[in-house]
Amino acid sequence: MADIYTLGIDVGSTTSKCLILKNGTEIAASSLIPAGTGTSGPGRALAETLNDAGLKLEELAAVTATGYGRNTFEGADFVVSELSCHALGAAALMPGVRTVIDIGGQDAKVLRVSPAGRLERFLMNDKCAAGTGRFLEVMARVLETDVSQLAEMDEKAKGVVPISSTCTVFAESEVISQLAKNVDIRDLVAGIHASVAVRTAGLARRLGVTAPVGMTGGVARNAGVVRALEKELNAPIAVSPMAQLAGAYGAALYGFKKKEG
Amino acid sequence: MNEVKMLLDELAAVCANPKAQLDAAVADGRKCVGVLPYFSPEELVYAAGMLPFGLWGAEMQANESKRYYPAFICSLLHTVLELGLKGALNDLSAIMVPICCDSLKGFGANWKYGVGEAVPVIDVAWAENRKIPAGVEFTRSQFRKVLGQLEAIAGDRVSDAEIGASVAVYNENRAALRAFSAAAARRPEAVSPTARCAAIKAGYFMDRAEHTEKLNALTAALAALPEQKWDGLRVVTTGILADSPALLRILEDNQIAVVGDQIAQESVNFRVDTPVTDDPVEGIAQRLGQVEGCSVLFDPGKQRGKELIELAKKVNADGILWVMTKFCDPEEYDYVPVKRMADAAGIPLLAVEVDQQMVNYEQARSAIEAFAEILRF
Repeated sequence: MADIYTLGIDVGSTTSKCLILKNGTEIAASSLIPAGTGTSGPGRALAETLNDAGLKLEELAAVTATGYGRNTFEGADFVVSELSCHALGAAALMPGVRTVIDIGGQDAKVLRVSPAGRLERFLMNDKCAAGTGRFLEVMARVLETDVSQLAEMDEKAKGVVPISSTCTVFAESEVISQLAKNVDIRDLVAGIHASVAVRTAGLARRLGVTAPVGMTGGVARNAGVVRALEKELNAPIAVSPMAQLAGAYGAALYGFKKKEG
Repeated sequence: MNEVKMLLDELAAVCANPKAQLDAAVADGRKCVGVLPYFSPEELVYAAGMLPFGLWGAEMQANESKRYYPAFICSLLHTVLELGLKGALNDLSAIMVPICCDSLKGFGANWKYGVGEAVPVIDVAWAENRKIPAGVEFTRSQFRKVLGQLEAIAGDRVSDAEIGASVAVYNENRAALRAFSAAAARRPEAVSPTARCAAIKAGYFMDRAEHTEKLNALTAALAALPEQKWDGLRVVTTGILADSPALLRILEDNQIAVVGDQIAQESVNFRVDTPVTDDPVEGIAQRLGQVEGCSVLFDPGKQRGKELIELAKKVNADGILWVMTKFCDPEEYDYVPVKRMADAAGIPLLAVEVDQQMVNYEQARSAIEAFAEILRF
């Protein structure tokens, strides 16, 4: 029987993620382009993934689009919300997970997932950048560092400088005030991560936290946030190395399941 | 089908341009009185020969109003005040302002200061303890006071017989609205959420007798349609307003029909008739004690959740959509117990925050799409 290839593309607000699954289980190729909806990112992610897999578009059994820019992506056989795709992807990448915390570029979501990976219920953050990837980017800029360095800085922190506000604009002012007091930047980073964790944990508690807990989305790559969130929720959090690709994985899996009937 | 579409289009046109209704009434020499939600005694305005003109906000950016209200006040009040400040409501002979939530309490003062005497304010007070005899008596006495102010504007006394006749017109309109709502639930393929909302909302800008006539024709035309299977989802809505065109379009994009509601602007306003009593003003006061399902009403027994769940079961809804008016504290307070009751009843409930000043509905779209995916599974 011929192999079935399905492609999932997660067109996010700041990144485009694409992944091809072979027979619904094996990752044939994937790519992540740091450019989101409305940019060349989705096209580049698609081309790169097809190229890496050595496949042509017409050889794919299904293309499923998800993410913030899912409705503007042309050529999809299926368009599915990122919430359902993250649930499906997280359950496949972290089997048994029941609560998924997904923090992306500009929003945060908490999902309750059935043992079969079906989205059961969810909550999204208020329309505010606080507690999202964008929040961390703004903070990194103020601290004259790159967002990718934050986890390492947090690791070396000796204390936590509290950032009381969870509004990005006000928090930026708070961070500047703390810098003016010459506090250790690493402790400040730990405080920023704690601030994200408090906000996200609040969202999670509103939904209800059922263990095991897993995390997806770009912010899951930041071990400092994950640690702070584990502390805040008093529960271990599983993170897959493919966390940022969970939505695209779920989309590809959705396409496969649809084709399988 | 053509008749259904024609009537729905007519009512949608009224909603799309309420100012035209106001202008036409004024051109006819009829005085118009603005009616702010909630539960202002519209019947008294109608009895005085004037046109009650509903003020439920507008889809617009409010700028001037922010001189009077902070940003975290609901858009309904911001945009009505904005319209007043810009002179768009200067043709109103007065505006009735109930004082039943914290934000409304300051509205009259803001209006008086900002808009001035061009459109005088009639404060409408009603009893929070609306069911007990003392509460009904208080509300009755306040509504009599309102009547006096309306008489002064109309330039004529209003008899109890005239109020009784007005109550009859309103009760007929409520009956027509209930019949239309039920018919629309049976014909989701013919009445989209946008069309359903517009048909109901149009009544706030029309003479109620004329609205009744249109609705009755519409309900009859819907009944004459051949049976058609609906493969989409069926939801019940709750909240203050569910008239955002963008939100309603998202429902339509996801094949979601509104088969019932507990929306202040919609069914909450027509589910209960005004009792016919010797003193018709007392009847209007009594009605307030019988209405349930609105967050601004004192509801110690938490009837809202019970009523909502019963409605969802009755109309066989797949789920409940809570259209949460941004910055509405009474709605936020109600959400927690109602959500728990819906969970206990096994009815999926999604809350989506909406603001009349919103321009980007993508988060709402994602949430509704995901909700639809859950319901369809």
